[in-house]
Amino acid sequence: MTERDHDRAIELIARRGTEDLSSADSTWLESHLQACRQCADYAADFEKAGQLLRSVTVTATASLVTATQARVRARAIDLQEQHARAVLIALSFCIGVLSSTFSAWLWWKFGGWVAERLGLSSAIVEPGVLFFLILPALVIAVLMLVFPRPLLEETFLASLVRERPGGNQ
Amino acid sequence: MIATAFSLLLPMETEEAQIARGLRRRDPELLDVLIEQYQHRLLRYLLHLTGNRAVAEDLFQETWLRVLEKGHLYDGHNRFVTWLMSIGHNVAIDYLRKRNPRSLDEMREPEEGAAFEPADGGPSPFEVAAAQQQQERFEAALERVSPLFREVLVLRFLEQMKLEEIAKLVRIPVSTVKTRIYRGVIALRPLLRGSAQ
Repeated sequence: MTERDHDRAIELIARRGTEDLSSADSTWLESHLQACRQCADYAADFEKAGQLLRSVTVTATASLVTATQARVRARAIDLQEQHARAVLIALSFCIGVLSSTFSAWLWWKFGGWVAERLGLSSAIVEPGVLFFLILPALVIAVLMLVFPRPLLEETFLASLVRERPGGNQ
Repeated sequence: MIATAFSLLLPMETEEAQIARGLRRRDPELLDVLIEQYQHRLLRYLLHLTGNRAVAEDLFQETWLRVLEKGHLYDGHNRFVTWLMSIGHNVAIDYLRKRNPRSLDEMREPEEGAAFEPADGGPSPFEVAAAQQQQERFEAALERVSPLFREVLVLRFLEQMKLEEIAKLVRIPVSTVKTRIYRGVIALRPLLRGSAQ
């Protein structure tokens, strides 16, 4: 009898009961257990360990179950709200991109129309329209460079807060 | 009963597929039913893993919150209980890493709280005393068994899982599962031999 045989027997003992052993494996195991006292003892202890573990009852209390259900429901509502907010943000972003693209196209057409009416070349009008489109961003960037944080934090934002009812005076 | 309720709703789907669909929707009704259905099994698993009732109850709640959050990852191809236990296993591992990053073996706190509760059912005082005595002996023996071994013993004997299922859940090779079961049974041997007498 080799170490390999004992290993095989230990594995088959662990599999027996939860898996269908082939008839060849079952026959081999039975004959091995009859011949090997050590493995037969292990098989008996294995069965007893299962019985003993099953004899210990662990029960969850009703309060634990109720508290868990309440926590899970509250979290589910929380996640639903988060999801709804994320959808709204994504939708707003898409609408913003679409409307920006559309308005850029409109301005571009308007620029072309003005160029045609005034007889200006597209080399002047196209950069002009582009400049017009990015003008707000340029103005804000220049303002932020000239008046760094204090402008936003103390003047502009503070005035916004003061305008709000209940804002800090 | 739950299986019947599910099959009435969608007779063509397996129970696992229905659970997967409900978890993707984060259906609170389904979660209520699942919590009730698997309450004892999950708590028993966590209790054997941690050896501490209060900790096991905290992890129980945490596991269900994680089931809610990660429910979309359950594909319905495997048994739900296996997936649930793997979530419980991960929650317990996270707890242990926070508490003690060194070893799984040091997670037991036998001095805190009652580890197990006796079953209800109105047995006689003698039976209660005998059962309590046996339970105390068993708990004492379990305390000597490493949580690594306890975990696989619970999964094998109480959850009736196949070696491959246990290996997948605990993320260890099948050969290691076999070894842990063997060593767990051997560690329980003094108690088993005592109970046979």
